[in-house]
Amino acid sequence: MRRLQGPLWRAFVYAAALGLAAQAVFPLLWMLSTSLKPPREVFATPPTLVPAAPTLANFVRLFEETAFLTYFLNSILVSGLTVLLTMAVGASGAYSLTRFAFPGRETVAKLILCTYMFAPIMIVIPIYILARRLGIVNTHLALVLSYSSFCLPFSLWLLRAFFRGIPVELEEAAQVDGAGRARAVWHVVVPLALPGVIATSIFTFTLAWNDYIFTRILVASDELKTLPVGVQDLFSAAVVDWGLIMAAGMLITIPALAFFMAVQRHLVAGWGSGGLKG
Amino acid sequence: MRAGVGRPRRRLSPAALGFLGVLPGLVLIGALILYPVGYAGWLSLHDKHSFFPTEQFIGLRNYVDVAHDEEFWDSLWRGVIYAAGTTALQIALGVGAALVLHQPFPGRTAVRALVLFPYMIPTIVAVVVWRWLLNDTYGLVDYLLVAWGLARQPVVWLSVDYIMASLIVMSVWQFTPFVILSVLARLQTVPPELYEAARVDGASAWARFRHVTLPQLKAVLFVVILLRGIWMFTKFDTVWLWGEGAGAGREIRTLPIYAYMRTFTYYQAGLGSALAVIMFLMLMAATLVYFRLFWREEDAA
Repeated sequence: MRRLQGPLWRAFVYAAALGLAAQAVFPLLWMLSTSLKPPREVFATPPTLVPAAPTLANFVRLFEETAFLTYFLNSILVSGLTVLLTMAVGASGAYSLTRFAFPGRETVAKLILCTYMFAPIMIVIPIYILARRLGIVNTHLALVLSYSSFCLPFSLWLLRAFFRGIPVELEEAAQVDGAGRARAVWHVVVPLALPGVIATSIFTFTLAWNDYIFTRILVASDELKTLPVGVQDLFSAAVVDWGLIMAAGMLITIPALAFFMAVQRHLVAGWGSGGLKG
Repeated sequence: MRAGVGRPRRRLSPAALGFLGVLPGLVLIGALILYPVGYAGWLSLHDKHSFFPTEQFIGLRNYVDVAHDEEFWDSLWRGVIYAAGTTALQIALGVGAALVLHQPFPGRTAVRALVLFPYMIPTIVAVVVWRWLLNDTYGLVDYLLVAWGLARQPVVWLSVDYIMASLIVMSVWQFTPFVILSVLARLQTVPPELYEAARVDGASAWARFRHVTLPQLKAVLFVVILLRGIWMFTKFDTVWLWGEGAGAGREIRTLPIYAYMRTFTYYQAGLGSALAVIMFLMLMAATLVYFRLFWREEDAA
């Protein structure tokens, strides 16, 4: 749809679009550039955008001199388990919310949306005290459970939007043809819902992958930390090693961005229905 | 899946099945959100050390203490500045960007995807990249400002004078994509006939924006302003990592940060919880007022 014409207007649109793309991407390019520079070049004046002598030394040091790999594996483990838990519970909940009429259904849906409003700090304080009392402070179990506090409402809401998009009639037709509900779900709903489930899993994974505050509070030992907290500790060292930090930043960002690129076309659908967080 | 097929058994009514399906979710939400939130309310009425298992009921003492605490009022004020400043900028820039990205131009799909990057990268990454860009000795921003003659000497972005401004800029960069995407999604559903009609009536570009686009965006903007306002007011990680997490930043100690410090630096879990509860009640009140003032039923359409 064309709303405005004229070469001047078109030039403005191009320039603005270019500016928008540049401001979004440039900081990441600068991170990439710094991560590939030897220490001397990191602090060079004038700064160079394209490294004169690109090197992977910062990445090598990251794995050799820091616990980065441990943090990385912890992040994958904890985020992965969170996704499994919230998707199992969330898919069953979302399916029920869209397919069955039961008293209080709307209340349940509204309740889920309302939990978006609770500030992390309001949940984190009691969860810390409760985790201490249960003796699960400094465990990955505590992380998976506490991540679920913000991942579950998010994935429930997003999945509900995807399930709503699947016509009930298809399922009913299968049941009329003699299939039980379970078989109708397995053969009709699951294949249709799969792209939505995958997209939701990925968004949930990123949400867990990015968490800082719960890990900061619940985990103290280095071997249990996830990436955001581990990298902040690198950053808080006496002398900030920018090349090393930028290399770490690159490696944390890549999985999140790769996943995002894979499912970003689903984003608008989920967005419109309130499946969003942050 | 097949095991149960054909075996005679008692059928559950759809309502019972539906409730059973949501039950695990409700149990988890109850255990991980509602119970903790209620527990925070209970904690706020107690003198409770963050480590030691004892607690003493003190009624509303924590709330009275908070009311007399100058640091509380300071942190509240800083939080309001941060939330209002970032939300206003995000809305203005986000709506502008969405209008541009709604225009047809080659490569639009790619630009739309790129613009969302800042929202998807982890906060810790956004923070360290911006701290590197704004570093006062080796940072690119200060280098360019001086090289282009826009500043006589490097600006210390994390100093007392500029830390709030730099935090706001960085936060707006990080969170504006949310506004862009929300508005863009809505723009795509505006019926083109409305613009055709306006054009036939000879409306200028500005008049079309004012009388066609803006009314259509009212409902989505209502929600986006509310959500962004709440989320910016309660934002923890971005603010914490910009300041305290790096050993600076009394000037950006907003309410969530202050509640965190009371709980985890001074070990006053009761007082920290009281601060969190107050923050929650303020948001509730603000939301109610917001609805009363700006929500019209006909906007919902």
